[in-house]
Amino acid sequence: MRAPKLVNELKTIFIVLGCLSVVFFAACAGLGDRSPGESFPQPPSEPAAQTESASGRPAGLEEVVVQPRPREAAAQPAAAGGIAENQSESPLMLEQAIVTAVRGQLSLEVASSQDVLPPTVNAGEELWVIATATQPDTAGDPNEDSSPGSGAMLATYLPADGAIAGHRSELPLPLKHTEVHARITGYVGTVDVTQQFENPFDRKIEAVYVFPLPEKAAVSEFIMTIGERRIRGILRERAEAEAIYNEARAQGYQASLLTQHRPNIFEQKVANIEPGHRIDVNIRYFHTLAHRDGWYSFVFPTVVGPRYNPPGTANPILAVPRAPIRPLTTGAAVQYLRPRERSGHDISITVELDAGVAIEAIESSHYIDQDRTGPDTARVELASRATIPNRDFVLDFKVAGGQIKSSLLTYRDPEHAGQGFFTMMLYPPSDLESLRRHPLEMIFVLDSSGSMNGQPIEQARAAIIRALDLLEPGDTFQVIRFSNNASQFGPDPVRATRRNIARAKQYVRSLDGSGGTHMIEGIRAALGFPHDRRRLRFVTFLTDGYIGNEAEILGEIHRLIGESRIFSFGVGSSVNRYLLERMAIIGQGAVAYLGPRHTGDDVMNDFFERISFPALSDMEIDWGGMQVSDVYPSRLPDLFVGRPVVVTGKFWGSPDEITVRGQAAGEPVEVTMDADGQMNEHGFLPGIWARLRIADLTDRRAWVRDPYGELEGVIKNTALEFGLMSDYTAFVAVDATRRTAGDSGVTVVQPVPMPDGVRYETTVP
Amino acid sequence: MSRVPSRILVCVGLFAATLPVLPQIDENAFRFAALDIYLEAGEPLAAWQFELRESSGRMRVVGVENGDSAAFRDAPYYDLAAVNGGTADHIIVADYSMEPVAELPTGRSRVATVHIQIEGMAEPDYELSLMAAGGADGAPIQASIEFETQ
Repeated sequence: MRAPKLVNELKTIFIVLGCLSVVFFAACAGLGDRSPGESFPQPPSEPAAQTESASGRPAGLEEVVVQPRPREAAAQPAAAGGIAENQSESPLMLEQAIVTAVRGQLSLEVASSQDVLPPTVNAGEELWVIATATQPDTAGDPNEDSSPGSGAMLATYLPADGAIAGHRSELPLPLKHTEVHARITGYVGTVDVTQQFENPFDRKIEAVYVFPLPEKAAVSEFIMTIGERRIRGILRERAEAEAIYNEARAQGYQASLLTQHRPNIFEQKVANIEPGHRIDVNIRYFHTLAHRDGWYSFVFPTVVGPRYNPPGTANPILAVPRAPIRPLTTGAAVQYLRPRERSGHDISITVELDAGVAIEAIESSHYIDQDRTGPDTARVELASRATIPNRDFVLDFKVAGGQIKSSLLTYRDPEHAGQGFFTMMLYPPSDLESLRRHPLEMIFVLDSSGSMNGQPIEQARAAIIRALDLLEPGDTFQVIRFSNNASQFGPDPVRATRRNIARAKQYVRSLDGSGGTHMIEGIRAALGFPHDRRRLRFVTFLTDGYIGNEAEILGEIHRLIGESRIFSFGVGSSVNRYLLERMAIIGQGAVAYLGPRHTGDDVMNDFFERISFPALSDMEIDWGGMQVSDVYPSRLPDLFVGRPVVVTGKFWGSPDEITVRGQAAGEPVEVTMDADGQMNEHGFLPGIWARLRIADLTDRRAWVRDPYGELEGVIKNTALEFGLMSDYTAFVAVDATRRTAGDSGVTVVQPVPMPDGVRYETTVP
Repeated sequence: MSRVPSRILVCVGLFAATLPVLPQIDENAFRFAALDIYLEAGEPLAAWQFELRESSGRMRVVGVENGDSAAFRDAPYYDLAAVNGGTADHIIVADYSMEPVAELPTGRSRVATVHIQIEGMAEPDYELSLMAAGGADGAPIQASIEFETQ
């Protein structure tokens, strides 16, 4: 009798338990997204069976699979588009995922910690966006409600595909404005960036923003500003900084955290911004400017382009639609505004220019106002403050040609007796122009992936076609395209005959942009065949570089480069300059950019002008009275006409005369220069050296076996010693004077516009 | 009859045991505090440097804030080596101002606030020492330093 009674009691217990669980989860579902006093629209009335998960399964309660993730993956901050519950590092993450699944709104499938699919919000599913009244287009829809926005916050339901036919939708988001103030002295820029975050919602938020900086940026200062109070952030090991930030956020303190995902991709988090309040974050970095033919280039990138992450990519940079949840990823996720959506985020840029020599001309990618304050100086401003931040700001200035010469700058570190830092800009000798070049084996590699669709691939095709016209009879060539796979014009390089060039042009014109960016296939196809030793092999990559597996690409180039030289051409308005630059450095070549204002003809004419003369190769440097170490780049590239090489390192001893020896067209060439004697006036040099050292060691992680993490240790220690951002260090700032009331609020991810010329449809899944 | 409440109690007990663990802020583990640093000088103060230590090594500096005077409106600087030395039990903070003498603070003024994270609930044992104070001409001046905990 006792056994049946026990069974009955257990049955009762499980039934009651089941009922309570349903009530509890239903309550959680309600609490998860709502705060007291908020009123919400009803979700759409489509039956759940009509919605589908990312895998195509119906997303009803029965079919949804939610797999628990490893703790490491759970520790990644969760993403939110528009506005969503904060799931960052919370023990509730799994429970919230279950709650979400129970609500039949969402399917999350996590294949592995390294192969993470972004979640999908399907049409008709619930998407909460708090929005002001929509801003009508100038050619607005006559049926549109044209009553002025009251500024009141509205809970608005938007279809998940974002289609607000005929309307331009401006979303209220926390990042209001980015202010950039740069000071350029010679070829070094010091840049202050202020990001203004405001909370337009009626509850506390954590703002998250993934943004780009120049690939050479040495980020050295970080200040959180609240009103008149300026709190300098502290650089710490990344894990420690993240732990401090999360603790402060959980306890209600206002805090900010800056982390690095790539040398040119950073993530800013600002916690506990109260409704209607503003917090500014100030970042300072410095970098050297690129130089070509007497022109210096200052670049400020404004948006991270959408990356393609081949399967197995470690720390991917996901491109995802604006959505109320954050994809679970070990890397970063960039949310993109849909066509016609605007964020209301604008940018202002001011550049104070002191070239040190007479400025002959100034050009820019944007409309600018310029004030020539002296022969050597100018002040430049972005003309329209309301410019949409969707393409790189490029400011080129030409200095008086006759005054350019090789130069050496030095700095003696007062903290290290006897040790100094130097940077040397080495110009090729002009007598190279009297020599003829060797025949070439030209390999053109075209990125024909989806992100290149449209203007970028048109420009790239035009560039290759122009380059084919510039080949000489003794040259050979090959054309390779890659997207999901790679294919090529012929099985081997062919001679540059009229007939072959005509056929190749036809082939190039037939190429279009679609599919993924499996650049590794293009690298192997371009470098993985025997070299014709009678010719110099130049491999030109024409790509936007929108990939997330940069380390794998650089490692493969290092493995296969042999005697080839790589010239990378960034095609588009906001290209991945980090990848393109490092490809050229490892490939001992050079990088050039084919932006919206350039033509393929111009860029290729310039390129062929460079390579029409023999380069100074096999260079050796006699440092005179200096004993040098830790010189970067660690492999000196060839020195082409019009293309200086910048060499940076440590030294001991006294700079006096430096001699560079090399070979050009089989002839010995020698260049001599004097040190300029401006010791101790270049305090930025230690930071520039440290940034180069970090970049070099970061590249090496792709091909050096490092089971004990020694490279990581050296990178981290270098970053900490010189106070710089890196993959292993981060800035954190906490205002410990006051705890804000309530919980840590919701996380709002700042979605960004698609780069100019890039199609949303072909790049965002 | 008496079994019903007991069943409910058992059910509630079991249910409670199955509840997801809510996030707990273990305030015993880490807490935050701010130390206002005051400097008193008989003449205009143009530069200063102090060192803050916590003898038990449970202090982590998480921010350094500017003071009250407009002459020191920017956030002060800290010594990287002191923070990154490993134990993070002390910090050296310094600042200077190029403002005219009339704009420089005289008397007692808050020159900085040090934001810190503390491990454990025991009262930290702070040691604050003034390393240098200077006037507009760069010459050392007499000054005293103290802190107040927020």
